[in-house]
Amino acid sequence: MVENRFYLTVLTHAVLITGVFFLCFPVWMALVASTHPASALSSTPIPLWFGDQGWENYSQLLSGGLPEAGGVPVGQMMLNSGLMALGITFGKIAVSVLAAYAIVYFRFPFRMVFFWLIFLTLMLPVEVRILPTYDVITKLGMLNSYQGLIIPLIASATATFLFRQFFMTIPDELVEAARIDRAGPLRFFWDILLPLSRTNIAALFIILFIYGWNQYLWPLIITSDESLYTVVMGIQRMVNSGEQLPVWHYIMGTAVLAMVPPVIVVVAMQKLFVKGLVESEK
Amino acid sequence: MAQVEIRNLGKVYPGKVRAVSGASADIADGEFIVLVGPSGCGKSTILRMIAGLEEVSEGDLFIGGDRVNDLEPGERDIAMVFQNYALYPHMTVRRNMEYGLRNEGLPKDQIAARIAEAARTLRLEEYLDRKPRQLSGGQRQRVAMGRAIVREPKAFLFDEPLSNLDAKLRTQLRAELRALHVRLGATFIYVTHDQVEAMSLADRIIVMNAGQIEQIGAPLELYQKPATRFVAEFIGTPAMNFVEARPVTAGLKIDLPEGASLPGPCAMVDQLAAPAHIGFRPEDLVLEPQDGAAGLRLDLQVMFAEQLGADTVIHARLAGQSDPVTIRVESAQNPAPGATMTAYAPNAALHVFDAATGQRL
Repeated sequence: MVENRFYLTVLTHAVLITGVFFLCFPVWMALVASTHPASALSSTPIPLWFGDQGWENYSQLLSGGLPEAGGVPVGQMMLNSGLMALGITFGKIAVSVLAAYAIVYFRFPFRMVFFWLIFLTLMLPVEVRILPTYDVITKLGMLNSYQGLIIPLIASATATFLFRQFFMTIPDELVEAARIDRAGPLRFFWDILLPLSRTNIAALFIILFIYGWNQYLWPLIITSDESLYTVVMGIQRMVNSGEQLPVWHYIMGTAVLAMVPPVIVVVAMQKLFVKGLVESEK
Repeated sequence: MAQVEIRNLGKVYPGKVRAVSGASADIADGEFIVLVGPSGCGKSTILRMIAGLEEVSEGDLFIGGDRVNDLEPGERDIAMVFQNYALYPHMTVRRNMEYGLRNEGLPKDQIAARIAEAARTLRLEEYLDRKPRQLSGGQRQRVAMGRAIVREPKAFLFDEPLSNLDAKLRTQLRAELRALHVRLGATFIYVTHDQVEAMSLADRIIVMNAGQIEQIGAPLELYQKPATRFVAEFIGTPAMNFVEARPVTAGLKIDLPEGASLPGPCAMVDQLAAPAHIGFRPEDLVLEPQDGAAGLRLDLQVMFAEQLGADTVIHARLAGQSDPVTIRVESAQNPAPGATMTAYAPNAALHVFDAATGQRL
């Protein structure tokens, strides 16, 4: 039903613009606040336009150690977050694409049992298994290390399931043609299956990168060494800085910086992402 | 290039589902052989067993004299063309054709030479750098053939390669396939459910039904001397007509459906000892009795006539049986529905099959 009435158009636009305003206002405030000195933010009225402290604030954040955040520069935290997010993303994709390949293309005993076991873990979020996982990581001596941050989050039932569904839509004749063309299992995987999964991998890359970037609870538990803090943890620490006034200009600056990598990933892979959702080129 | 031999080939799927049993055939070097039959008759299963895509459950399979039952498809030195083309969608036409050769480890200059040759043969030169999705159905199927040709295999296997194409393109590619076979002189094994395709392409046809081979023979042989009622019905359009004949007293009196009669002697039918089906082709029926040759007389009522241009097919009813009789006559004929007519099948055009076994008598 498409109606073409003037007032309806005005109303729908008003609703949409309000929505956009509510969505963008906090981001705007964060941007503005990050360019003012601390004093400007603790007195009314709160400024709504950029201040002149932007350069100083950001250079202090990126390189200088902030006592409020444990003395670690935000640059270091972003590096940690980035390494963790990339590790989780690549790890998850590699593990799940291989698992799905095994489940779809190989006949081994208890194949379906394994599939359903993987599928069941979809229902268990990180938080549920966090204590046993912590125990395992401790005994493996991986506390306060990048491995400890990354490896426990690498297994992914969701991604395995998605790849399985995709592989099942690839026609059998393609597999058979490859067998006749003397492509062994590894060659088939590398030459045909992976290139065909390109758009799916891109879509998953975005989702998983953001998932990894936003991890909070697990890094909080597994790290006590400040040099391994992630940016999400850093923001949280700055807000709860005890007796002092919260350093809002730095907090907002960190929040803005924390938004940058996910935005870059989304913008860079957006085209492939949409292709992956829409296209079915087989 | 090589001969292919199947010995008592059988296929049983898990769950005891039998797809093929006791299939034996010798396919000569350079022969164009077509496996034909209705869907589910096991023709594709045999092809897939030859390709190595299905395990052989029973019997032996030889390609070029070597038993290949347990070899991987890639080791059998065969090439296959699939119904839905099965081109690698992310590779260009050139890469598609190269892929098998690269996996074999052939030197680059030889690969390039073979692809240039195949592209010329199939008129694909200008499409070499396109992706399959930028090609039409007919072009895709030619690429699939190109991928087979460059392999220079011992045998080419085709699994209903023209079924996804429209009628006009199918006729055109059929002619190209035939020409290709002449040029390459290689062994072609071709599966189809379309008997016209089988008749027009094959050196010899293998007719299959319910997992078994009914008859192997040259197209005309199958048409003129079908070994079973199934083959008689399957080969030829419109299909062969049948009337039932029951001997009342063995060798003395034959009971035919009402409207059908044998005005003169007919050795084949007169000596029947058991119920039989008498078959005659629509194109063998004549509207005037021929001098001397007695044959089968049919008193018919016209249902309708199809004027096809070159000829007319009359569908008519025989009083004593429910199956209609079709008659192919010259195009000038156009009888009105309901009219009565008489048609004659000469003795020489009658095919008699045992009613119980379906075997030719």
